[in-house]
Amino acid sequence: MTSAQPLCHADEIAEGEARGFGPLEGYRRKIVVLRHNGTLHAWLDACPHYPGGTPMAWKTDAYLNGEKTHIACHSHGALFDMETGECVLGPCLGQQLTRIALTMSDEGEIFVTAAQEEKRA
Amino acid sequence: MNIIGPDYLVFGVDDVAASIEYLTAFGLKPVDVTDKGGLFEALDGTGIIIRHKSDPTLPPPLPTSNMLRQQVYGVRANEDLDAIEAELSKDRRVTRLADGSVETKDDHGFELKFQVSKRRELNMPAEKINAPGAPAQRKPNEIGVWEEMPAAPRSLSHVVLFVPDIEIATNFYCGRLGFVITDVLKGAGPFLRPKANDDHHTLFFIRTPEYMKGCEHLAFHMGGPTELMVAGTRFVKKGYQSFWGPGRHKFGSNWFWYFNSPLGCHFEYDADMDKHDDEWIAREAPMGAEASQIVLFEMREKWAPGGPPPGAKP
Ligand code: FES
Ligand SMILES: [Fe+2]
Repeated sequence: MTSAQPLCHADEIAEGEARGFGPLEGYRRKIVVLRHNGTLHAWLDACPHYPGGTPMAWKTDAYLNGEKTHIACHSHGALFDMETGECVLGPCLGQQLTRIALTMSDEGEIFVTAAQEEKRA
Repeated sequence: MNIIGPDYLVFGVDDVAASIEYLTAFGLKPVDVTDKGGLFEALDGTGIIIRHKSDPTLPPPLPTSNMLRQQVYGVRANEDLDAIEAELSKDRRVTRLADGSVETKDDHGFELKFQVSKRRELNMPAEKINAPGAPAQRKPNEIGVWEEMPAAPRSLSHVVLFVPDIEIATNFYCGRLGFVITDVLKGAGPFLRPKANDDHHTLFFIRTPEYMKGCEHLAFHMGGPTELMVAGTRFVKKGYQSFWGPGRHKFGSNWFWYFNSPLGCHFEYDADMDKHDDEWIAREAPMGAEASQIVLFEMREKWAPGGPPPGAKP
């Protein structure tokens, strides 16, 4: 229904970095985009520990743990695999972050399609 | 056993620099802090101690994502330390340190330390309000708010723990250390007040599976609801992440505002908590949104009605 919404240029997210975008139309929370082993991954900024999912950063764009090896929820320190979104330590052990599909233009701009997240519910 | 409440909470963090930045922005004062960590004080000298998680001087960690390494409780006098040592050494290892403090573990493995309290007595007014029918608390020409008004955490208020077994936790803190249950959220757990403190709670338990064991949040008392909202608003404006609030709890009547943190638990500003004595009979309510709060708000950017009158030329 809604057209693709631009986030940024792919080059703006360096290896081992994460950034939050939004909230964008059709999404109840921000979208976290990170680059790990060269590949971009996007996750909904919603920790599965508490119902409804709660925001994970401790400060703007501060989504990773101290060692920068995992996405961390800075509510109770849950750690998530950057590539699979699975919680490997913490209160939501074994649960998953919600993956958001990214598209990239020929020029390298990255986009998300709105309302995709609603389908999950 | 005259336990007053937490003097310090000690954390082993994975990002010392981030934690230093956070605690300072939260409004705590760094004392002897280096790049290895140190103590961050509220106005009365209670506070948070951080070290890197690999620092060998820290008590051992729990096998969970929790970063809280030790609760340091302040007691009134040396005799209280003797009484705690005598009681707890009946069934566990208790260590007397050179400075007279006592270290041990609770029945869930949380590390504890007891010391003659290092908190300083505060002498400052609470937030003052004016209302019809009551004597004015602010004198003529004494204003209530101003842009740069101070809003600093005054005292470490309480800590909330995820524990697998409420009965074990309650038996230990009430049965062995003289805490009193003030109220109970059924499905979560009890609010506890130590004997030498009349605050509604300095400790609260939430029942969770074993793999969640750890600290849910800690809180600092502010001078009143206005200070709480001013401090929280400034914190959000600097980019820190609000988690829940501002609002006012039912049990305890305290105002609250919770924030995410790089210390593996929430940090709360609280204000205007109920006081209790031994006459009080604990209430019970089922855990849930209704019982948790009388009001809840969410911060929005500053806005005001107004602007040019409709139809005016720009
Ligand atoms: S809300 Fe994310 S770990 Fe608890
Ligand atoms: Fe609290």
